[in-house]
Amino acid sequence: MTLRTDHIVGGAFVAFGLVVLAFSGDLPTGSLSFPGAGMWPKLVTAALILFGLMLVARAGESAPVASLTWTDLPHALRVVVITAAAIALYQTLGFMITMALMLFTLIFGTERRHPLPAAAFSVGVVALTWLLFSVLLKTPLEHGTLGLLGF
Amino acid sequence: MGTLESLLLGFSVALQPDVLWYAFLGCLVGTIVGVLPGIGPLSGISILLPATFGLDTTKSVVMLAGIYYGSQYGGSTTSILMRIPGEASSVMTCIDGYAMAQKGRAGAALCIAAVGSWIAGTFGVLVLTLIAPPLASFALRFGPPEYTALLVLGLVFLAYMSSTSLPRTLLMASLGLLLGTIGIDNMTGHFRYSFDIAELGDGIGIVPVAVGLFGLGEILSTPSANVVGKVIAPKLRELLPSREEWRQSAMPMARGSILGFLIGLTPGSAHIISSFLSYAVERRVAKHPEEFGKGAVAGVAGPESANNAASTGAFVPMLALGLPTGPITAVLMAALMIHGVSPGPTLVNEHPDVFWGFVASMYVGNLMLLALNLPLVGLFVNVLRIPYAYLYPLVIMFCIIGVYEVSHSIVDVWIMLIMGVVGYGLRKFGLDPAPLVLGLVISPTFEMSLRQSLIMSNGNWTIFFQRPIALALIAVCILLLALAAQSLIRRRKDWRSKLAEAEAGESG
Repeated sequence: MTLRTDHIVGGAFVAFGLVVLAFSGDLPTGSLSFPGAGMWPKLVTAALILFGLMLVARAGESAPVASLTWTDLPHALRVVVITAAAIALYQTLGFMITMALMLFTLIFGTERRHPLPAAAFSVGVVALTWLLFSVLLKTPLEHGTLGLLGF
Repeated sequence: MGTLESLLLGFSVALQPDVLWYAFLGCLVGTIVGVLPGIGPLSGISILLPATFGLDTTKSVVMLAGIYYGSQYGGSTTSILMRIPGEASSVMTCIDGYAMAQKGRAGAALCIAAVGSWIAGTFGVLVLTLIAPPLASFALRFGPPEYTALLVLGLVFLAYMSSTSLPRTLLMASLGLLLGTIGIDNMTGHFRYSFDIAELGDGIGIVPVAVGLFGLGEILSTPSANVVGKVIAPKLRELLPSREEWRQSAMPMARGSILGFLIGLTPGSAHIISSFLSYAVERRVAKHPEEFGKGAVAGVAGPESANNAASTGAFVPMLALGLPTGPITAVLMAALMIHGVSPGPTLVNEHPDVFWGFVASMYVGNLMLLALNLPLVGLFVNVLRIPYAYLYPLVIMFCIIGVYEVSHSIVDVWIMLIMGVVGYGLRKFGLDPAPLVLGLVISPTFEMSLRQSLIMSNGNWTIFFQRPIALALIAVCILLLALAAQSLIRRRKDWRSKLAEAEAGESG
């Protein structure tokens, strides 16, 4: 049997639905005349499992998993890791430093652009954005707990 | 107060200099958002949402709506000049728009797209002006059972209209409904799936989910090496179409406006579906269908008019019923609610300045867009010269700021990142994230109206069949499901599967 994309998608959602149901054990279902906090989530999870099973049943119409191309995955992974690092540092280092570092790392590190224009672009754009939000739009951006370049 | 007097009140609000300024700002940002591939109106609206916190409700919604319909105008520029759709709804414009550009008629194609968009947008606002207030009055008769039936109908209609399969759409909507249950249960105070994370007590916000799925998800799926394109820059004197081109575009614009508005009223990605259907209709009624794909004027005029009329039509259920038909109207609704205004049947009476000011601003906004899009096309083309390697890090930065500034919660930003990864996975496996966002938005209302209906009927679920409006809505649901089941069982290709094939073919 050829493994198809809808086998993977349907199977993943059925498994996810079962995990959610396992976590819903302590939520009271209540009765029809007075539905509890658990009724709606369980109803929706049941629908999720049902549609997941329907996908698995009709998976023959979908493309084979082998036909999926993953050439964009390394780029996506690099972007995710750099963005995750920026989010982790955002409240500590603040907007100015974190975002300048993130932009520079993405442009120079991931896109292999020349470091000087990359650095100039990163610092310039971050400074302009800070001015736009803090001065023009009166929406101060995160200063960071270290207070570096907090203005 | 009659419609005319109300509209005059609206114009007195919309023509105030500061409201005009924010309408202009929204239209300008919307055009840029539309021009840039990879940034949709949803990301644009979500990112700028925090910037509206300091504004009053009317200015906020006028600016955000300007981004929405402005992006429909701007989307045609990249389609015609680069054969890259700035917006998903501009995919069809790529075919004949770019073919016209290659024949040296880029300016005429841009002008026809802009004028068609203006006519359709103005037509849409005119119909909205006439039908939204009576629809809102009618909706005052709705109780919990009617709202439950209406939401069921919305989901069924969404699945029926979807160009992907029915189970896939409903699967995504169910996931959204499930995500919408996270947080404190409003009726009993139970914490649901919050795993002792205090920030999850209020539930998952629309903004982090929408920005993650549509903004970050799009970037992750688009490696910069794949974004290349040659820009054809038209000269200002080449912008005027010939008399023959005007003649060929008149009827497609009229048909596209009507078709687009009607489709805009329905749930789903109406602005995308409307442009595909309009293209199909124009090719069907054309005297020379063989010209389509080789620079047919109707292939630009019809779809561009349809997607603009659809984006205006989508405001009718949002304003009159308080129901979003897609993720963009959902975020606009969230913007109104942040300002303490609930869209719905009571909006017209309780906040006439907001409602009519918003409607009047759309007349003005459409005119502004016409003025912006034609003479300044050369300027917008320059935006396309920014290398994607520099552009997408900038978009990620705005995604982070946009999400963080809504409630200063870093948990929301993590949710955005997770949703970005989810969005990448969904795209990989051909799943449309739009029903997920719609499910997330309607989940609390759906649950509340269902539980209230059951409580008021003492657990008798036949309440949905005992009230005439609810019964009529359920009957339409059954009819749509029967139609969908028929094509599913017979495995016959109906117009939806043909549309899906065309969509896959053209965007691929």
